[in-house]
Amino acid sequence: MLRKLALRMIWVGFVAASAAACGGAAVPQETLTAAQASVKGAEVGGANEDPKAQLHLKLANEQIDKAKKLIEDGKNEEAARVIDRAQADAELALALAQQTKAMKDAKDADESLGKLKRKLSQ
Amino acid sequence: MFRLTSLACLAFLGVAACGATLPPPELVDARKAYDRASKGLAAQLAPAQLDTAKQALDKAEKSFEDQGDGVPTPDLAYIAERKAELAEATAGKAAAERDAEGADKKFKDAQLEGLDKTKAELNKERQNSEKTKAELEQEKKELGEEKVARAEAERKAAAAMASLQEIAKVKEEARGMVITLSGSVLFATGKYELLPIARDKLDEVAKALSDQGFKSIVVEGHTDSKGRASDNDMLSLKRADSVRSYLVSRGIPSDKITSQGLGSSRPVADNGTADGRANNRRVEIVVSPLK
Repeated sequence: MLRKLALRMIWVGFVAASAAACGGAAVPQETLTAAQASVKGAEVGGANEDPKAQLHLKLANEQIDKAKKLIEDGKNEEAARVIDRAQADAELALALAQQTKAMKDAKDADESLGKLKRKLSQ
Repeated sequence: MFRLTSLACLAFLGVAACGATLPPPELVDARKAYDRASKGLAAQLAPAQLDTAKQALDKAEKSFEDQGDGVPTPDLAYIAERKAELAEATAGKAAAERDAEGADKKFKDAQLEGLDKTKAELNKERQNSEKTKAELEQEKKELGEEKVARAEAERKAAAAMASLQEIAKVKEEARGMVITLSGSVLFATGKYELLPIARDKLDEVAKALSDQGFKSIVVEGHTDSKGRASDNDMLSLKRADSVRSYLVSRGIPSDKITSQGLGSSRPVADNGTADGRANNRRVEIVVSPLK
């Protein structure tokens, strides 16, 4: 039983080592940091106030967490791809939040105009 | 040999099946997203972002061609779909900003217009109030002038009355103001030419009448009852005419003054006494007042 466990551990160690060797890629720290910054930017930009933006923000966060785990596991190449996805979601979240804000501003401006016109026509 | 061929066949079939691999759902979504974005506002309002999306899609398509639906095709397609959506969102933002700007401009224009309108209304109101003020002032002035004029007229009339009373008997009767001039002061016996002293008195009367104002004047000649009535009538008429003519010559409008000879028909005293007869010989100037 013990022997079996030891063997298993060796096997796991081998697999991990080979995966790292196989990935060969460096830890995608730079893109990860960039993606995290984009997520922050989207949050500041109001992504939490718009449902669709919020969804993409959530996806970005989930994928960043996933990427961190992959890096821990030495799966850097896969992590890099997941980070790219997270980056795309974070950027989209910000763009959606900005669109929503601009549309709200336009609606407000239109309403103000309507109010003023009604007032003037009295 | 046969087995080998079969194996090759199988392998070939497998590859063929591989070549016919359906695109991963991420790629299908990415194509749709890009198609929608390129046909929408993004082409005009977010061309750079749309181009980035196109490049991302091309990369995913190339990966699909080279690697099939395996890694990294789904990841690239996932990214391409988001890039296309980002282009759309950027365009939507730009359009909304454009709308807001337009509305802001219209708002400002309307505000200015409203301001102008309000200004014009205020100006109009001010002009109106100034006009009203001026009219009030004018009215006040006119009223004041009228008051002054009326007071002046009253004063003149009072003065005229006073001066009349000095030279003649003045009575207020229902038919008007009656100025009675004694016949002996005006005429020589049996004559109807005015005596010089009569002219002086009538000058005063004419002035007083002019000052006082009147509607119409009737000059009545009266005699005592001595002599023939027809003679008396004639004489009284001639005397009244003389007075009338003289007053007209002193500025009394001829169309406002008439004369009548009443003879002895309206005595004011007893014809049986000399004093009474003297009182009956007279000229009465009956003045109808203005009101």
